[in-house]
Amino acid sequence: MILLLGPAGLLLLVVFAAPLLHYAWLSNHADSVVTGLEPVLNHGANWIRLLQDQRFWQDATQTLRFALVSVGVELLLALAIALLLDQRWRGRGAVRAIALIPWALPTTVMALGWRWIFNTPYGPLDQLAHALGWPSLNLLANPAITWIATVVGDVWKTTPFAALILLAGLQTIPGDLYEALRLEGGSSWVCFRRITLPLLRPYLALALLFRLAQAFGVFDLIQVMTGGGPASSTESLALYAYLNAMRFLDFGYSATVVSGSFLLLLGLCLGGWLLSLGLSRPQRQQEV
Amino acid sequence: MSLRLSNIGRRAGQQWILRHLELTVSDGECLALVGPSGCGKSTTLRLIAGLDPADEGSIELGERDVTRLPAVQRRIGMVFQSYALFPHLSVADNLDLGLKIRGIAIQERRRRVSDVLERMRLQERAAHKPAQLSGGQRQRVALARALLRDPLIYLMDEPMSNLDAQLREDLRPELRQLVLRDQKPVLYVTHDQHEAMAMADRIAVLHQGRLEQIGTPSELYRDPVSLFVATFIGRPQINLLHTDSSSVLGVRPEALQLQADGLPCRLTHLEWLGASQLWYLDSPQGTLRMVLAADRRVPETIRVGWRPQDELRFDAVSGRRHR
Amino acid sequence: MPHQRRLWIVLLLAWSLGPLLWQLYTSFCSDQALVAPLAATPERWTLAHYRAVLNSQPPFWRYLLNSLFVGTSSTLLTLVIALPAAYALTRLKPWIARPARLLLLAAALFPYVLLFLALLEVARSLHLGNNLLALSIPYAALSQPLAILLLTAAFRDLPLDLEDAARLEGMGLWQRLRWVLIPLIAPATTSTAILVFLFSWNEYPIALTWISDASLLTLPVAMARIAGSSIYSVPYGAYAAATVLGSIPLVLLVLVFQKSIVSGLTSGAVKG
Repeated sequence: MILLLGPAGLLLLVVFAAPLLHYAWLSNHADSVVTGLEPVLNHGANWIRLLQDQRFWQDATQTLRFALVSVGVELLLALAIALLLDQRWRGRGAVRAIALIPWALPTTVMALGWRWIFNTPYGPLDQLAHALGWPSLNLLANPAITWIATVVGDVWKTTPFAALILLAGLQTIPGDLYEALRLEGGSSWVCFRRITLPLLRPYLALALLFRLAQAFGVFDLIQVMTGGGPASSTESLALYAYLNAMRFLDFGYSATVVSGSFLLLLGLCLGGWLLSLGLSRPQRQQEV
Repeated sequence: MSLRLSNIGRRAGQQWILRHLELTVSDGECLALVGPSGCGKSTTLRLIAGLDPADEGSIELGERDVTRLPAVQRRIGMVFQSYALFPHLSVADNLDLGLKIRGIAIQERRRRVSDVLERMRLQERAAHKPAQLSGGQRQRVALARALLRDPLIYLMDEPMSNLDAQLREDLRPELRQLVLRDQKPVLYVTHDQHEAMAMADRIAVLHQGRLEQIGTPSELYRDPVSLFVATFIGRPQINLLHTDSSSVLGVRPEALQLQADGLPCRLTHLEWLGASQLWYLDSPQGTLRMVLAADRRVPETIRVGWRPQDELRFDAVSGRRHR
Repeated sequence: MPHQRRLWIVLLLAWSLGPLLWQLYTSFCSDQALVAPLAATPERWTLAHYRAVLNSQPPFWRYLLNSLFVGTSSTLLTLVIALPAAYALTRLKPWIARPARLLLLAAALFPYVLLFLALLEVARSLHLGNNLLALSIPYAALSQPLAILLLTAAFRDLPLDLEDAARLEGMGLWQRLRWVLIPLIAPATTSTAILVFLFSWNEYPIALTWISDASLLTLPVAMARIAGSSIYSVPYGAYAAATVLGSIPLVLLVLVFQKSIVSGLTSGAVKG
């Protein structure tokens, strides 16, 4: 029986475990044009450089900001969409299929589409601003706001996925719970607050966890939509690691950036888990 | 002797769920395994079928030790409680699949499948999926599949528990005749003692993983070895009187009679059973159940007694029968 | 209430389709019209962008074929490996199966982008670069966690009696899988296959680093290359035409297999 797991286990080992070990090893080596692209042990120099690397820490905060805002907005939208799709009305199946389309398209395809929509001065948004007599939005050239454009692109693409998970959760809630509360005189808001939200919590947690991890690794969208610019203001950790390897040909440091990102993610997960433990404990006592 | 279980045992973790089971079933005999749920009756079937391995003892089937033989090679005809028909295949394909796997030529397979379909009166249903059949039809397909296996033994795991009461009674003689026709041993698991008495030549009562008693239905009824068997077999249930601290006295409701020097009783409730009636009586010894002919009127004063030979005495602690 | 709902539905549709419709509109606009959309332009509509995309070297349908090939081979490879593994997970003792499932869940959550560098070195040292068939190996590996979890849930839902009955019919392990178990989980297999296909069709960072030969590019990389060709002036009209052409197969896939996709994602959420 265990033999049946063999091929899958081997594949997972090669693609998940081996790379992580390789990073641990390579991150302690210089491997760049300077060393003739041969790994040379450098005793933690990469890690010291990482700690002092302002661009890494800037990218880390940017990535985190992107992930938190994007996932937050996305979950709110997804909840609204799921509530809408959970009701019964004609044509629901067709609308559900159409709502899925953004999720199914390759990220890179619409990343460039967004670049066109946010284009200055020819994009529709700028044209509209122009027609209204407003100044140009300059969405892709202003380091202070360009990240918002990337959030829009990400929310558009990934909301359907979160909405479907929440929809699955909504459909597990038995309808007679609502009827019982309605008979007690509960309003729609009370129903939502007392039944929907508590019972949906595991699904919200799942969507949150899944999407946060994915948003933390954002790459396709940023690389194509802004290239990390303007002035590195939208650069993510994954993009920084990619640039280190593919543009600066510094593989050793790229591995350090990847490892550092991985450790950050691990720390965040641990922190989030501890936080959720702390939050859920007082509530449990209340229930008892 | 076509099935012989010797000292069979089965563990779940550290706990024995079946132990020291000795059984023989001969060709053309139907043995019913009865007992409350969790007593080990379904486990026994699964061990014989080879679906679970025995942790102790040996199983002989058709003069051959099959204890270590995998289920695939044992030639077992089994009818599951859920019928376990393959939902993606039509009735005919359900029956054909096993024959195909065993490498039987296509003409031969067609012939056998159509024979069994005819025998089971399922010809019109050959192309239907199991979901489109009634409960009785599904049961017949499951039985047909077992027959086609040409088995050394038939194992029936509560085959009628998913049918309604009327259909169950109608099917009993037919089922018995079908499976006993080819002179193989039949093991029939049920929790319904009534069904067991109607179907089986002998009955084995299991209790907490042990064989409590084995015998013909009338032996179990008249001569139970323990309190457990006495209460399990026979409906309405046997009356138990706690006469002294060391023993319990059992008297069947059918053995009670009205007699002038009996216990003074008061009628609390009366149930009509059709050909007979059942009285619930309040006596100094506790509640008594009594079966009487349907035309018996309730007398002014009720005094109830029994013949000494109808008494069954049991040890109050161990539940064993005093002889 | 229904009025309010209709408004929400319209908003949802506009949000989902708006950006795509704008690409559609752009793809038919002449360059002059793009630069001045509100001004009156004599030659507003054109098919020139489509002509340019279809006549480029290599032609656009080449990328579609590449993606189709990678998507299909990855899906097949994934299923061949994941089906027996998922079955084994449902039949193994809990002390092996539970940690294995947790590891799979962790792997499914892992942002796989971070693996690109190590995978690139694998491709280099084993000479797997510029080979579409080889590309399906990392794709199949990255799809394993989700595929195994989805298929495990499906196998677990099958009544145990069915497999017992198959054993008593004389079927060995492979025969049981072939004739009974795998046919019975066909719906879950379909939705898993579609999810894996979508992933492989859309995957970008690994394809970007493994494939450099222009005639072997998959669709996402080819599209991104158009963008990267010049930072300052992207040929938006031609690009929009490519977007429309590249989206058609996926839009069709979603519309046709909507039910399978939804049931796959939701059963993953409910049971995973």
